[in-house]
Amino acid sequence: MTKIVFASRRRVLKGAAALAATGIANVSSGARAQAKGKVVVGTWGGDYARLLNKNVEQPILIKDGWEVIQDQAGDPERRSKMLAERRLPRGTTDLQGLSALNMFQMHDAGVVDAIDYGKLKNAANLLASMKYPYGVGHIYSGKVGVHNPKVLGAAPASYKDIFDPKHGNKLGIIDIQYQYTLVCAALAAGGKVNNLEPGKKLLLECKKAGARIYPTNEAFAQGLKTEEFGTGVMWKARVVQWQNAGIGVQAIVPTEGALAYVSGFVIPKNAPNKAGSYAYLDAMLEKSAQEAFAVDMGYNPTVKNAEVAPDLNKRIGFSPQEIEALVDLDYAYMTQNDVALKEWWDKELKG
Amino acid sequence: MADATTHRIGEQDGRSSFLSASVLLGPATVVVALGLLLPVLILLRYSFNRFEPRVMMVEAVTLDNYVKFFTDPFYTNIFLTTLRVALGCTVICLVLAFPLAYVLARTESRYKNVLLMLVVLPLFVGNAVRAAGWMTLFGSKGALNASLMGLGLVDAPLQIMFTEKAVIIGIIAVNLPYMVLTLQSVLEGIARNLEEAAFSLGAAPWPMFRRVLWPLALPGILAGSILCFILAMNAYATPVLLGGPQFKMMGPLVFGQFRLNNWPFGAAVAFVLMSATLVLTASANLLMQRRYRRDVGAQPM
Repeated sequence: MTKIVFASRRRVLKGAAALAATGIANVSSGARAQAKGKVVVGTWGGDYARLLNKNVEQPILIKDGWEVIQDQAGDPERRSKMLAERRLPRGTTDLQGLSALNMFQMHDAGVVDAIDYGKLKNAANLLASMKYPYGVGHIYSGKVGVHNPKVLGAAPASYKDIFDPKHGNKLGIIDIQYQYTLVCAALAAGGKVNNLEPGKKLLLECKKAGARIYPTNEAFAQGLKTEEFGTGVMWKARVVQWQNAGIGVQAIVPTEGALAYVSGFVIPKNAPNKAGSYAYLDAMLEKSAQEAFAVDMGYNPTVKNAEVAPDLNKRIGFSPQEIEALVDLDYAYMTQNDVALKEWWDKELKG
Repeated sequence: MADATTHRIGEQDGRSSFLSASVLLGPATVVVALGLLLPVLILLRYSFNRFEPRVMMVEAVTLDNYVKFFTDPFYTNIFLTTLRVALGCTVICLVLAFPLAYVLARTESRYKNVLLMLVVLPLFVGNAVRAAGWMTLFGSKGALNASLMGLGLVDAPLQIMFTEKAVIIGIIAVNLPYMVLTLQSVLEGIARNLEEAAFSLGAAPWPMFRRVLWPLALPGILAGSILCFILAMNAYATPVLLGGPQFKMMGPLVFGQFRLNNWPFGAAVAFVLMSATLVLTASANLLMQRRYRRDVGAQPM
């Protein structure tokens, strides 16, 4: 787990510059900064953490006088930490970045606060679907079909076209995406988000026909690049990143409706600085921060006032009809069955 | 009177040496107790709890998690695979490391330190980064397959990535320096003239190795093997990255259970892994020490 503190050096420099150049006015600003306090945010490492710092923390929070500490780790570790700290009167983080499913699981476990949207000035712009009672959606994308025309001639139009045993070993599946893959396959086979049995059957047929299973998103991308396979499913934002990296793939929004992926933030019940939590949530919903995330990361803004350039929106976004058709997981069903689904995945599909 | 004084002084010496031993041992013991034993005990307690999907962990005293592990062939096969890989890697490491350690121990070259640094060099890179390097080598369009196909030695790329072979190669690359360094330090302590004495008495190289070098190096062989075995049993990054999704070992299994929030079963699997490693290591230690005492103790050296 990595803890990264931002702002100290900046504050020192700011203080020094203030004393030297502008005198009392900026000194009082420094004093105000100290009064704002510290926000500890749990987040994944890598690009997401870097972009939070670049687009949310530095230009908004730190500029406004907050000290921000990122507690970087994978979400399983951070969820475990939240559960382990549940009995403590004061936890160690002020908010945690999680997927919508994980936000629900933490809410279900009783470790997160209900969100008071009255405390968020940017809540008025937040899409209704991103206002969870227990968390705030930060960015979203959808599970689209990935198609490499060099490997597979005709482009698939639906999940049903993608999860077709006739593709043999030209279909790629990502191991760590077992939950979403199962749901996509279920939708392909006529199942529902809370009835994955048809999807299991279809996946077994695809596996029998030679479908390749890749351990991670990165290994999947490598397989696409080397043309080991030609189709699969992935977040549209990732497909955009791969296109930017020179991999010749196309994204296809499936006719069944793309499975939505939402990444957001929750406030642990024992967060030591809840004012800081709300300040962070408001900052991440700022128009400028949301627009910058769309440009830098390829995920869609969750606020209505964010403007995405038409050419970028064409690549990362969804039409109003496609947004309308987005399919959400059944969080309660997935939480109840997650262990059983993973056991099936490991024993039956991969075994 | 003199006897009584000596006795008192002896008692005082004993007490003061006990005191200083306690002072010296105390801080480390506290750190180990707090940082290792306490979490291990908590984990042990968790392993007897019950998992409920929506509640996550329910307080209970049940052996269900252990029963599930030992009665499901899926999990016992993972355990056996882990044992097989760990033992295989340890034996291969020993075979590869011994000659290298011997050369390093006996060389009088002024580049000895450079050679030692070269052995340690792989440890400068993390396991995950090293595995990523192997991935570029082993992939179907990786350097190895490209070379073999370019030379016309194979028609189709060899499937090395995502196999047990790849994991074994990866773990050996991680563990080899530990084995070499352990053996080298022990071999350096064995006087060269013992080997020369054996040769001068007519022993050929192999009997000299078997009767002189091997028994004397046994403590180092044991230490190096235990180190390698423990590291291989608990390997995580290498099996995940090189073994791929269909290859399973115990380390990734433990993590996988905690990832699913199934702490009770994860704790039980962790305990099975820890206990097996401990029992096998202790047994090997006992066996080898007995043998060492028999071999070395019986010979007038």
